[in-house]
Amino acid sequence: MKKINVLVACGAGIATSTIIMKKIEDLFKENKIEANLMQIKISEAASKQENADILISTTMLPTTYRIPAITAVPFLTGIGEDKLKEKILVAISEIQANK
Amino acid sequence: MEIKAKRLSDYLNKELIFVKHTYQGKEELFEEVNQVAFKQGFVRGDFLERVQAREAEFPTGIQLEKIGAAIPHTDSECILKEFIAVVTTDQPVAFKRMEDPSQETKAAVIFVLGLNQPHSQLEMLQTLMSVLQNNELLTELLTSTTAEELIDILTNATIKGEK
Repeated sequence: MKKINVLVACGAGIATSTIIMKKIEDLFKENKIEANLMQIKISEAASKQENADILISTTMLPTTYRIPAITAVPFLTGIGEDKLKEKILVAISEIQANK
Repeated sequence: MEIKAKRLSDYLNKELIFVKHTYQGKEELFEEVNQVAFKQGFVRGDFLERVQAREAEFPTGIQLEKIGAAIPHTDSECILKEFIAVVTTDQPVAFKRMEDPSQETKAAVIFVLGLNQPHSQLEMLQTLMSVLQNNELLTELLTSTTAEELIDILTNATIKGEK
C-alpha cells in the first residue's frame, strides 16, 4: 500500500491544525494507514496540492482543489466526530484504490 | 534536557480575563483585549488590526452543543509574550463560523489565543478543546463572577486533563 500524502490546514497554520494533526495521526494509526502529514496554512493549499492526495482543513475552503478536500471542525467540537472519521477513511480508501 | 510543555493554566493572566463584560460586537471585544494586552507588553502595536483582519478572513466561531464560542488568533510575529485571554460575555457576541462564514454563532465565551510557538502547544490546545466540549465546565465558566474563580476552574481542568 502506498503512503498517502495529507495536507492539514487551518487559517494561521498554528492553532486548530495542530489539534487536528494529532486527531488524524491517531485515526491513521488505529486504522494502519501509512501517511505523511504536512501542517500548512490554508493559503498554501493550492500550491502544495500537486504532491498531496488529500486536504483536511478546519477553515472553509476558499477555492476548489484538484485533490479531495474535507473540513474537519468536528475534531474541535466533538459533534459529529465519528461521521467525520468515517468520511476521511472512505476518502483514503478511494485514494488507495486509485494509486 | 526536555523542556516541559506549557499548560493551559500557564497562559492565563488575571489582567487578561474579562468576566461578564458587555460588548456591542466583536470589534469592541478585540479593542478591550488589545488595550490591556498592549499596555502589559503582550502584543505589538499591530495586533488589533491583524487579529481583526484574520478574523474577517478566517473566522473562528465554533458552534458547540449548547453555546457558541470563538478562538480568535493571529500571526505569531505580533505576539511578544504568549497568553490566552478569556472573555465571558453578558450578551453573546456574534462570530462567523469557522467552517462556514455565511453562518454565525453567538459566542458566550471567547478565548483569544496569543501564540508565537507554532506546532508546540498541542497539550494546551487539547486541554482547551476538552474544555469547550465539556458542558458542565462551560456552565461553571459562564457563571463565574471573578477572574480568580475563572482561572481556578481552568487550572483544575488542566490538572484533570493530565490524569
